[in-house]
Amino acid sequence: MNTPLRSFIDHKADTLMQCGNYSIDLPELQPGEQYRFHFDATACVGCHCCEAACNEQNGNSADVKWRRVGEMEGGVFPNAVQFFNSMSCNHCIDPACLNGCPTESYIKLDNGVVFHEDETCIGCQYCTWNCPYEVPVFNKDRGIVTKCHMCTDKLEAGQTPACVQACPAGAIEIEVVNKDQWIRNDMREQGVAPHLPDVSVTKPTTRYTLPQNLPQMQPADAHIVKPAHSELPLVFMTVLTQMSMGAVGALFLGGLLSLLGFSNLAQGSFVIALVAILPALVGLPLSALHLGRPILAHSAMKNIKKSWLSREALALGVFAGLGVMSAGSYLAGLDGIALLFALLASGVGVYGIYAQSMIYRIPARPSWNRVSTTKRFFATGYLGLLLVALVLSLQGYGTSAMSVLSMGLLAAGYQVLVIDEERSFYHYLSEKEEHYYQLSRTRELLRNNFAGHLKARFIMLAGFGMVLPMVSIIFLADGSFTAASVLLALAFTGATASELLGRYIFYVSAVSTGLAGNFFAGNQRG
Amino acid sequence: MLDKIKRFMGVDIKEEQYSLVDDATFGKINSAKKVDKWVRSTCGYCGVGCGLYIGVKDGRPVYTKGDPAHPVSKGTLCPKGLTEHEMVTSSNRVTTPMIRKNGALTAVEWDEAFRHTSDKFKEIQAKYGKGAVACISTGQFLTEDFYTLGKFVQLGLETNNYDGNTTLCMASAVMGYKQTFGSDGPPASYEDFSHADVIMLIGANIADNHPILKLHIAKNKKITGKRPTIIVVDPRHSKTANMADIFVPIKPRSDLALMNGLCYIIMEQGWEDEKFIAERTSGYKEFRKHIMANYPPQEVAHITGIDVKTLYEIARVYAGADKALSAWTMGVNQSSIGTDTVSSINNLALITGNLGREGAAPFSITGQCNAMGTREFGFTSSIPGYRNFASQTDREEFAALIDVPAELIPVKRGYSYPQIIEAIERDEIKALWITATNPLVSFVDQNRLRAAFKKLDILVVQDAFMSETAEIADVIFSAATWSEKEGVYTNSERRCNYAKKAVEPLGKTMSDANIVMEFSKYFEGKYELLFGHLQNSRDIFEEIKRVSAGRLCDYSGMSYELIEELGGIQWPCNEANPKGTKRLYGEGFACPTEDGKAKLLPLDWQPLAESCNPAFPLVLNTGRTVEQWHTRTKTRTIDLLNNLAPEAWCEVNPLDAAKLQVSSGDRIRIGNARGSVEELIVKVSESVREGNVFVPFHFSEQLINALTISDFDPKSFEPNFKQCAVNIYSEALPEGIRMQENEIAGALSYQKAESESAPALSKVKENR
Repeated sequence: MNTPLRSFIDHKADTLMQCGNYSIDLPELQPGEQYRFHFDATACVGCHCCEAACNEQNGNSADVKWRRVGEMEGGVFPNAVQFFNSMSCNHCIDPACLNGCPTESYIKLDNGVVFHEDETCIGCQYCTWNCPYEVPVFNKDRGIVTKCHMCTDKLEAGQTPACVQACPAGAIEIEVVNKDQWIRNDMREQGVAPHLPDVSVTKPTTRYTLPQNLPQMQPADAHIVKPAHSELPLVFMTVLTQMSMGAVGALFLGGLLSLLGFSNLAQGSFVIALVAILPALVGLPLSALHLGRPILAHSAMKNIKKSWLSREALALGVFAGLGVMSAGSYLAGLDGIALLFALLASGVGVYGIYAQSMIYRIPARPSWNRVSTTKRFFATGYLGLLLVALVLSLQGYGTSAMSVLSMGLLAAGYQVLVIDEERSFYHYLSEKEEHYYQLSRTRELLRNNFAGHLKARFIMLAGFGMVLPMVSIIFLADGSFTAASVLLALAFTGATASELLGRYIFYVSAVSTGLAGNFFAGNQRG
Repeated sequence: MLDKIKRFMGVDIKEEQYSLVDDATFGKINSAKKVDKWVRSTCGYCGVGCGLYIGVKDGRPVYTKGDPAHPVSKGTLCPKGLTEHEMVTSSNRVTTPMIRKNGALTAVEWDEAFRHTSDKFKEIQAKYGKGAVACISTGQFLTEDFYTLGKFVQLGLETNNYDGNTTLCMASAVMGYKQTFGSDGPPASYEDFSHADVIMLIGANIADNHPILKLHIAKNKKITGKRPTIIVVDPRHSKTANMADIFVPIKPRSDLALMNGLCYIIMEQGWEDEKFIAERTSGYKEFRKHIMANYPPQEVAHITGIDVKTLYEIARVYAGADKALSAWTMGVNQSSIGTDTVSSINNLALITGNLGREGAAPFSITGQCNAMGTREFGFTSSIPGYRNFASQTDREEFAALIDVPAELIPVKRGYSYPQIIEAIERDEIKALWITATNPLVSFVDQNRLRAAFKKLDILVVQDAFMSETAEIADVIFSAATWSEKEGVYTNSERRCNYAKKAVEPLGKTMSDANIVMEFSKYFEGKYELLFGHLQNSRDIFEEIKRVSAGRLCDYSGMSYELIEELGGIQWPCNEANPKGTKRLYGEGFACPTEDGKAKLLPLDWQPLAESCNPAFPLVLNTGRTVEQWHTRTKTRTIDLLNNLAPEAWCEVNPLDAAKLQVSSGDRIRIGNARGSVEELIVKVSESVREGNVFVPFHFSEQLINALTISDFDPKSFEPNFKQCAVNIYSEALPEGIRMQENEIAGALSYQKAESESAPALSKVKENR
């Protein structure tokens, strides 16, 4: 009997297109070439076959979508246009996921596929932030990030990727592209589609065929403005490490000044050194909690060459180590060596916090990709100064505490300026701004969802970060150490709360660039 | 505990579950679903009739893969088909027969369910007459199920108050074909989409409802070397309208006038096919006279809202094509003038000679997987094999074929679906048996329907799923579903597809044919008379073949094996056409009319029964979305589909949204005198014209059919689902929208232009 066929692996369906077939004929790749998707938006009817086929092929649950159909609408009835963009991974020539991955879990294969190696992934999800198309997706069930690999195993075996096979319109195809030629000549014309971010960020390879004279397009999910993940472990980790950086800085400065002959000032001590590094010692392991695979946290330092996350992890790890060494040296009575360690720790700590801020300076998250992110991370260091001042006050070093407090007030004042800059940035946000769509949505979140949080954060910063420390200076000057200490303890606690709240708002108000979503499902994840 | 810690720490990333594994038939597949066997079958959702393979693992379906050797789908499947295996083990399945006891549905054995029901039926029939028991069936059964049910209802229960839910979708196409060609039966093939020069889609949103047909349109350019010109006629700019070269945004339900108007222009310009008209049609003289007297372009522009210039352009494009294919679905059928609209589409095809040739036909696209099967052998509006109740010859022939007394065959059709509801209202029908359909979501004018159902003495629901209607049933017959039973489905192009059984029925479920045959044993002598000789689906199929022999829907040359081998067979299939017939009414293929010619019919457009008025100034249009199937009994538990369309929405033009002061995502109330839907989410969209709104009908939570109107086509009895007058009430406008006065006749129209020239926009001159 002819049927059922024993195998469709080499069978060609009568479609005259790549679709329908389980086998695919592709030319051999020449040097400088890679495979890519071609998407014909004039053929797509928005049926979601590709999406369903992808999930079926890869065993993904409904909230893990490697391929999504972005929906947009424009024009005026009857000249209306519905625009569908079926997109999985663009297998970029300069992939942001790969560049940022701390564990080097991404590989650009010889055939051009940006491949994610599951075994080494620690589930830090930095790639899900970095990709301007929101392609990599965290799979809770597995604790790792996964993404489209163009069904590369199938391609190598001459089999058709699931989405290509499934499209009844033949709108998705696999092609060969010469990378240099693409970047030089064609990418800026043929690699673009409505609502997608600038191609220069990652040099995506997907070729688009678009309808002519598309009107202005509005994403179908424009009405869905929902907060991003709060990343609580990271809220604590960043604030605590920044606090330690400030405190260790104060420790070093105090030691330095006394070396220079400011003999009335308190010297570094075991207690201060310990207290200074303690927040980092608490915060750093906390950060592992946001990983899908905490057990592999140590491998986050692998990609020092390219990833700011690796650099941060390494720098702050060394920072913590040096801080502990400094405290230990003080305990051993080796004050000189302790100071040296404090010096080194301060330097590495500053770099660590800089690296930490650079993690967020990414084109895919316009609200983070601003100088103010770096400024706010450093300014949060005032918490460390408050902490050191508190300890000094408890130890009865009034003048020293006052000196530290004056620096703390300066830093806290700077934080006020950073907040004010952000407020006026969103107030005067221009529609001409490149990422107006995302930034205006951040603004909406700040104004609608988190207005109360923002107000509380500011009042707490002013009250606990500035007013209380100023009042405590009066008590310190008066020699009322108990009262000063109580006030400072209160100031430190309240200011820390303010910074934590501020950091929480920082995370939840982020809005990514990427594909337009679905009317109900938004960007179709979770 | 250890596992939990391991999970938390991320030791196990379930590599195995998410990897690929080699499969001998399909290549690399997901390893978690490594199947034990593949079973070649047919999709059980819509009327496209896609071929697929069901992957079976541990006795359950876990995969569906498109069949590349199948001529319909050529390896592709829509999202519902791709996830169809999930439907079988849905938590929404009914797995055991049930009887309502003390107000609650209680699981019982089959014997109790059958005994209770049969006692009740007998009691009611004794008291009120045979016709007091009625049955409403479906388009979802296998043909074998249909045949069995029809035989039992008509000849066993001896009530002809039996109709299918196909009256809600295909009845107008059936009656329209009958009017024109003398018989039901779509004359075209899907491959005609690949050959036509012009494709006119009328009230057909194939992108949402029949996406796999796009495959055949996509092939057109590959085969003919040029893109076909696609004309989309629809009051709504649906997904399908994006395909259009010419989008024709007609006023709601004015298609008939449009067709007549195009005929006018074609005959006025002398573009008609005189030879074809003379040789193959009858009634031309009267037809021409009628059209020329009543449908001049100015008048048609007034009715349709399409300007005269565009009307001439459409007529020129359509008549100028060597091969023009017109295809329609619910926008045409679900109308109180549906039958005549279908015939008017046939008229246009006939005067231009577009019939029975490759790429040239008037083509009705079916809704359900086997709406065609019930039309052929369901025994509802006709005797199996397209025979007429009124014809004594047909009755006697059929009785002889199945060896029953001819007196047993009803002499006329009983009540149609809406008439059954009306008869319940009049206390004429006291028992209702509903199979595989869910009127509590799908029928018009829900409040009226629900009041009627309360009057029943017994409501029996036979279904594989716990539908809204099953929830209020007195008895539930738990049915097997797709993949659990064997038989055939006929698709829109008359292709009889083999649906093979892949797994055993879930729990205490039985195939619908088996339920009916077992049930018949509780009616004295009926089983022996009707089913005694039928052991399994093959036996039933053999009887169907015998009944069909020599008829238009001739199955006599088919066998399950041959159907499977060829990937379905298009009837008629007999000795003369052993591999089936691609097209009806080609050269030398006479129409089943008295003279063998197709009839040109003088038909009239009628205004809507319910037009907009100050209280209800908006026109409500209802329809579907690709992610959901009908009343969601099959799709609501499939996350992949449901997440994309979890609830109904209301498409509102930005101008109306501005009046209501609402934006996308806001909630409104929509209603009219019949009913209302609260908390409906707004989707501000340019896909609808100002004054028109669209809501999908799938959702019982937003029951839009509470608003639709009890207005039926007098010939097909099909409800006018697509238009009724409503208002929308928002927070800012609790009184709703006010009617706009002084509407200008002849609205703007639009044509997409490939060239650089400006789109043809012109205002219609006032007619007198």
